[in-house]
Amino acid sequence: MTDYLTPSTRDSVNEWAHRLPEKLLEISNLRTYFFTEAGVVKALDGMSLEVNKGQAVGLVGESGSGKSVTAQSVLRIVPRPGRIVAGSIKFEGEDLLSKSDDDMRKLRGPKMAIVFQDPTTSLNPVFTVERQLTDILMLHRDLTKEAASKRALSLLERVGIQEPEKRLKAYPHELSGGMKQRIAIARALSCEPILLFADEPTTNLDVTIQAQVLELLKQLQKELNMTMVMITHDMGIIADMTERVTVLYAGKVMEVADTPTLFHSPKHPYTEALLKAVPSVKQTRALEVIPGNIPNLIEPPSGCVFNPRCKYAKDICMKQEPPLEEVEEEHYVACHFWRELKLEGRAG
Amino acid sequence: MASLIRYIIRRLLFMIPVFLGVAILTFAVGNAAGNPINLIRAGLKNPNPAVLKALTDYYHLDQPVWKRFLYWLWDLIHGNLGVSLSGRPVISQIWPWTFTTLELQILSLILSIVIGIPVGVYSSKHQYSKADYAITGAAIFGYSMPTFWLGIMLIVIFSLDLGWLPSNGAVSVSYPWWGDNTLDWLAHLILPTAVLTYVSLATIVRLVRANMLEVMRQDYILAARASGLSERTVTYRYALRNAISPIVTIIGLGFGAAMAGAPALETTFSWPGLGYAFTQAALTLDIPLVEGITIVITVMVLIANLITDFVYAFIDPRVIVQ
Amino acid sequence: MSPSSPKRGAGQWAVAWRRFRRNKSGLAGSAIVIFFVVVALVGPFVVAYPARSYLSLYEGDAGTPPSFKHPFGVEDSGIDVFSETVQSAHNDLYVGLAATLITTLIGVAVGALAGYFKGVVSDVLLGVIQMFFVIPVLLLILLFARVFSVLVFHGLGLTLIVLILAFFGWSGIAFIVRGETFRLKEMEFVQAARSLGAGSYRILFRHIVPNILSPVIVIATLNIAGFILTEVVVSFLGFGDPNTSTWGLLLNEGFPYVRTDWWVSIFPGLAVVFCVLGFNLMGDGLSDALNPRLRE
Repeated sequence: MTDYLTPSTRDSVNEWAHRLPEKLLEISNLRTYFFTEAGVVKALDGMSLEVNKGQAVGLVGESGSGKSVTAQSVLRIVPRPGRIVAGSIKFEGEDLLSKSDDDMRKLRGPKMAIVFQDPTTSLNPVFTVERQLTDILMLHRDLTKEAASKRALSLLERVGIQEPEKRLKAYPHELSGGMKQRIAIARALSCEPILLFADEPTTNLDVTIQAQVLELLKQLQKELNMTMVMITHDMGIIADMTERVTVLYAGKVMEVADTPTLFHSPKHPYTEALLKAVPSVKQTRALEVIPGNIPNLIEPPSGCVFNPRCKYAKDICMKQEPPLEEVEEEHYVACHFWRELKLEGRAG
Repeated sequence: MASLIRYIIRRLLFMIPVFLGVAILTFAVGNAAGNPINLIRAGLKNPNPAVLKALTDYYHLDQPVWKRFLYWLWDLIHGNLGVSLSGRPVISQIWPWTFTTLELQILSLILSIVIGIPVGVYSSKHQYSKADYAITGAAIFGYSMPTFWLGIMLIVIFSLDLGWLPSNGAVSVSYPWWGDNTLDWLAHLILPTAVLTYVSLATIVRLVRANMLEVMRQDYILAARASGLSERTVTYRYALRNAISPIVTIIGLGFGAAMAGAPALETTFSWPGLGYAFTQAALTLDIPLVEGITIVITVMVLIANLITDFVYAFIDPRVIVQ
Repeated sequence: MSPSSPKRGAGQWAVAWRRFRRNKSGLAGSAIVIFFVVVALVGPFVVAYPARSYLSLYEGDAGTPPSFKHPFGVEDSGIDVFSETVQSAHNDLYVGLAATLITTLIGVAVGALAGYFKGVVSDVLLGVIQMFFVIPVLLLILLFARVFSVLVFHGLGLTLIVLILAFFGWSGIAFIVRGETFRLKEMEFVQAARSLGAGSYRILFRHIVPNILSPVIVIATLNIAGFILTEVVVSFLGFGDPNTSTWGLLLNEGFPYVRTDWWVSIFPGLAVVFCVLGFNLMGDGLSDALNPRLRE
């Protein structure tokens, strides 16, 4: 894949890199709504996110919090009846929302990509592995069929697949879950994107395979110097894979911090609850479950969107939506009582 | 490749009991009065004695039932379908009819696929638009009406009222329509083909639309878009390929149904094909002819099904493994 | 504070009923069906001429086009088309409903057995289902109808037609039921039932069958439409019962005179189209209501 640079080239690149915007991705106040028969589902309702070049960032929340929709919004492939209604998304300094669809298509693959959650449904069942990879390579890299096939083969080797020649000609249903997800990763990385969204990449896999795939992602991210957004509901994965994390709930940001900070001193009740819900071998107390269900996104609760399930909720929480405030440098939280509450973090 | 061949052989083997099943049913009906001759007598007052003699031999009436069935089956497989009440061998009468029917059926099939798939895809991509409602509405009407009735209506309008098109037969007896023999053939083909195509279209458009809507929701379509593939590629290469397999099956079955429905349509247009002949033969209780036509149509339907299976396997390789 | 769960009761059938109520075409279809049922039940008492009566011939109205006195015109033989059309409704509906009832019972039974058990019996059943599915059923129906009408002394009769249609028409339902049963039996609630001591037949009929009701209802509704259409074809070709008023019979009588007496072909045909349309729309509405597709 990417050759490493010679010293002189590296210097010039570094010089040039310093002039690049540090922030690779800037999402600001994004609102993505789904206009369904049952009503307007506010999947993302004023969500913001900043990712710097080369960072591994986490986006955590329960299902229905809007995590996947974020990735879809950035690539602008939000499925009908969804639509981005407000906000801005800047990538490499450029406004993505004003780009034409043709221009966006040039970015999808070479600049940004998604690894989806379930490899059984994200790979096309009627095409061979080879076909799915070469189609993309031939489109974006203008390669011939043979060249694309060779490249596909090396991609499979890269993601750790044994006997890649055989697997290339296989159909997805002939492969195991772990293998399929590796292929999905290969597909996402085939055009060497700068930004990778990993949307719950291990949730549908066996526990033993999970660790392998996560390790693979970590490795690839370092080697390719990719910026990765790890979308998950699993705080364990956040701890393992990310430097910085945003906590999402019902389409809004609850807390943003560097990963260690978030774990040691969370400032939002939801974050505390998420941390408490992760089991660890050492703990002796019972697992605490977060009471209630995810809110109805058509008619979300008024005030702070987490208030129905928050054990610290007071009157003002039902009336006023808390703004995102700075706790300390690079640590933000949206809660009325972050100063007063003494929340429990995790030591390790 | 090997598994593909095994799959084809499996499908072929399946066709054999089906054919036998139809043969048994046909034979059973023919012998419902004890033997076919009795049945014929029930329909005709004065059957031709020479023909009756020939048929008695053909049906081996002196043998017990099960042996008669085997003799009959043996003859069938060797192409001997007996002699019809008109005295002529059934087989020689069936050939020209077969081609006449096929000409209509195949033309309609091709047209309905070629028109139906794009229209269905268009409808699915523009869901809830006026065009979509119009198309869906036309489709629902299409499969709610008896095919032959649509034929009658069109005859009334285009042939009797307007005189633009001929209303019966496959070719004109005296004066060629539109002044030329080829044009004459074409003119006669238009109405029945239009009718059959419209009704087939109705089913195909609805199915394609429904399947495409289903498929376009899938993750792998989202993933394809995320890889930067154009909307056109995603729709026609990725989505359609997945949506089409159940449609292939339905087309195969639909062809079978259309063949079976040939009697009514052909009668309406006096189209001299197998369906028309079947109707006439059944009404006059010309048992050998009726049995012969039934068997021939069944064989054609089975072949159509085999072709369908083959196409299906080509499109969706998953089916070979089962 | 707004609640996070639906306000009203959410029983499975209640939800489906609510969805059905919102489906405009399904409601339209149901309205049409109800209209025809009313016509079928009430019509015969309201129309001017008895079934199959040539009365208009004696009134000098034979072969007249639609008029105030004869809204659908009169056949050359003296039969009033309007009265006939109305009085055919209950016969056609009878055929459609009866055939559907029988085929549904047979189809569910055979399909469930074929899908639930393993082994030779189930394979054979599947083969039989597929066989009936593939063969050119209409031809055999016509053949059977013709032979029976010759051999059975009192003529074919509607019930015999229903039986013939049912004999050849159960494979569609059986196929779907088999598929669903096969899929369901692998699910956990079946294992749970078994672990509590339920035997095979109990599981089959008390647990699995209620879960396949949804697709069965939809297919049955659509089958009514299909059987009516089949009856129309059979009667049109002259293979039906000449003494019972059906729409197909009217079309059969009208066809030779289509050049001059076009009304005999149009109106009964329209009746068929709308009746079948009604059942098709209703079936589609039911399908949408009972099988919601999950969206965001």
